[in-house]
Amino acid sequence: MKYVKWTFLAVILIVVGGFLHYTLPQHDIVRVVNTYQERQDLNDWTRIFWSSPDDQSGTLTNRDVQFISAIQTNGKPMVYRNEDTGWNWPPYFKFDTASLQTEADDLKSNAENPKWAVITHYGWRNELFSIFPNAVGIKPVAGPDVRIIPWVNIFILTVFLIVLLTIRAMWRQFKERSIDPVLEDVGEAWDEVEDRADAAGDEVRGLWGRFKGWLGTWQGKPRK
Amino acid sequence: MIGFLRLAIFGTVAAALSYWALLIYSRSLRREALEKEWDGDWHEDASPEARALFIEEGMAEYEHSLRRKLIWLVLVLPAVVVGVLIYLVNYA
Repeated sequence: MKYVKWTFLAVILIVVGGFLHYTLPQHDIVRVVNTYQERQDLNDWTRIFWSSPDDQSGTLTNRDVQFISAIQTNGKPMVYRNEDTGWNWPPYFKFDTASLQTEADDLKSNAENPKWAVITHYGWRNELFSIFPNAVGIKPVAGPDVRIIPWVNIFILTVFLIVLLTIRAMWRQFKERSIDPVLEDVGEAWDEVEDRADAAGDEVRGLWGRFKGWLGTWQGKPRK
Repeated sequence: MIGFLRLAIFGTVAAALSYWALLIYSRSLRREALEKEWDGDWHEDASPEARALFIEEGMAEYEHSLRRKLIWLVLVLPAVVVGVLIYLVNYA
């Protein structure tokens, strides 16, 4: 049972952690090397990683997606997709894909003369499944070593924690005030029933005992 | 536009449910505090009727308190947050 419990908790932790890791904004310091647009198929399971812009038919099987390719500070490449999230999940309310693409174009640079920028994005890059993080914002920074404090994540995780603790406190209050008194009543009622059953049992035993005693007198046994 | 409608409807329902739950929770906390306040003090008239009256008066006062009104923020704040986000992500 111990293993079942820990496995269960681990699975929940991984799912929630993965969900938060995918959804919360992250910052990369990169230099943009290219932006392009490419037709993408939408009819396999990786559909869940592409956005569903409002102005797009739900039955489309492929469409053009804009991409921003960049080199990270460690020299490794990273490719971002650039799509509207619109009013859908995750709630970034991003509608400025075209403007973002223009800003990224403006920041293009090469290795000899790098222009560093911080890209805010959510999502994962996975070469095997061809999934890309979605860029949400881009702004130029002084150099590759600037320190970025993730205020938004600190704020969101704090709020998330407060909400969880509030729900826990609400549940405890509800239990203390509404469930426990009822259970106590039930317990008391049950005790009463038991007492009465015991009393009735004694009474029956008494009657039966007296009857047996009377029968015994026929055989010359003394009554108890 | 269908996305906006979906968000608006589900958001309103979620906010209304949170509002309702917080309303009950906050009221329950206040009532418990009033009960403890009465039970902790000495009273000339310590009858259950006097206790009930004290609690009902306290609860009537609570219904006009700032804390009771602040719960409205649960309905207002999400809309404000969405507005701020749209500005920050797209226009800032």
